[in-house]
Amino acid sequence: MAYQLYRNTTLGNSLQESLDELIQTQQITPQLALQVLLQFDKAINTALANRVRNRVNFKGSLNTYRFCDNVWTFVLNDVEFREVTDLVKVDKVKIVLPHSSTTE
Amino acid sequence: MASSANSNPVPKLYRSVIEDVINEVRELFLDEGVDEQVLMELKTLWENKLMQSKAVEGFHTEEQAALQAAAHQQAQQAQQATQQAQAQQVLLPPQQQVTSWQSTRPTVTSAPQQQVIVQDPKILQHMSATGMSAAATAATLALPTGVSPYHQLITSQGNLSQNCYIKTADGQILQFVRAANGAQYIIQPQQQMVLQQQVLPQMQPGGVQAPVIQQVLAPLQGGHPQQTGVIIQPQQIVLTGNKVQQNAQVMQMPGQPGQVQQIQQQVQQVQQAQQAQGGAAPGPPQQQAKQQPPMMLQVDGAGDTSSEDEDEEEEEYDEDEDEDKDKDGGEDGQVEEEPLNSEDDVSDEEDQELFDTENVVVCQYDKIHRSKNKWKFHLKDGIMNLNGRDYVFSKAIGDAEW
Repeated sequence: MAYQLYRNTTLGNSLQESLDELIQTQQITPQLALQVLLQFDKAINTALANRVRNRVNFKGSLNTYRFCDNVWTFVLNDVEFREVTDLVKVDKVKIVLPHSSTTE
Repeated sequence: MASSANSNPVPKLYRSVIEDVINEVRELFLDEGVDEQVLMELKTLWENKLMQSKAVEGFHTEEQAALQAAAHQQAQQAQQATQQAQAQQVLLPPQQQVTSWQSTRPTVTSAPQQQVIVQDPKILQHMSATGMSAAATAATLALPTGVSPYHQLITSQGNLSQNCYIKTADGQILQFVRAANGAQYIIQPQQQMVLQQQVLPQMQPGGVQAPVIQQVLAPLQGGHPQQTGVIIQPQQIVLTGNKVQQNAQVMQMPGQPGQVQQIQQQVQQVQQAQQAQGGAAPGPPQQQAKQQPPMMLQVDGAGDTSSEDEDEEEEEYDEDEDEDKDKDGGEDGQVEEEPLNSEDDVSDEEDQELFDTENVVVCQYDKIHRSKNKWKFHLKDGIMNLNGRDYVFSKAIGDAEW
């Protein structure tokens, strides 16, 4: 089963909001919305695995770390995300990652 | 535009994901007997929200152009509508930030009326679709000048460092917000809020009315009658039980010291600073206050009758602490006055654009390694939202020190 991890992204949230609006206007059933979300999970996982090919480096200081229910959550401070082209600096960033069952 | 999308794979990726999902879902829709129209509506809604979030650059260029053209017309109409309702609205940044902001539920009005928050998402849509920043949109709404600090407060959400909730005797929950410039405001739901320049405490018996104070002008002198309530000064919150501070406009909260210990801690710090200004006399009561947090804080010189004896005993402590307080007090004193000016300055525009997105990275990991306090991350397949913008990566390697 694909991770539902990506539902809390811009893409995932906007999809959920759109589905909620349709449910409220009763154009679709909640059941159908759930199916859509499951489909989204599959699609996004596949897309990320196959369609994205870029690397990022980052460096910062770790504020907190947590490993609970097989999910890591880190909070980093003063992090620099460095890609080939650009550099993004943030004061605080939260990294959420579930344990990957398929380790490469 | 499409040809120069090499540098940013995000919009293309999102497009393709949307297309895939919609196509795969089409069958589901048809099985349920739902019209194709609804599917198209879903797609439109989805894409609109993505555009609003401004997290993704670029979009279906045709749709974008068409939407923007339509949005311009509607935005003009919306502006007229909003100007009418401007007295009751404060415009918040686009939805993405709104959703995160709503979790803290600030409710601010620009006039002494019932407050209304983020209204009309359509207006927001149009506003953001036209590329106007939150600052510009608020400016077009011609918010009254008295709201400007709030405007900054809201638009510079990235500056918010603390959100504290204080529960008063009424059970009301005052949201206590502290902006980056040090100014502290209490946002009180469903109460009169923004006060222009003067502190106008409006106290009601048996209740806590906490007018939000933007600026504190001339502090009330001593001899202030006992009143109830909480007054906030920039960087200061003073709570007194039965006595009034000399240098601050202070209202009393009826019998609630125990519930607002958060404020009291800050008050104590503030009062330490004030004492440096006020001299050594208020020192002992401060120490009393420090040693007994639940006790009412007393800094009034006139009310020091009970502490004279202890003055002698604690002189030594006073001297040492006053030295420290002088340093802090000097700085704080300057800062107290400066907020009047610093509020005029708009922090970097970048900060305004940052909003208060908690930068999140969702991904999977190959390996996470730790050596003493050095962590190494080997991540993969991630979507990042940094500073309000979206990025993706197939691999990420990072170092962090704990």
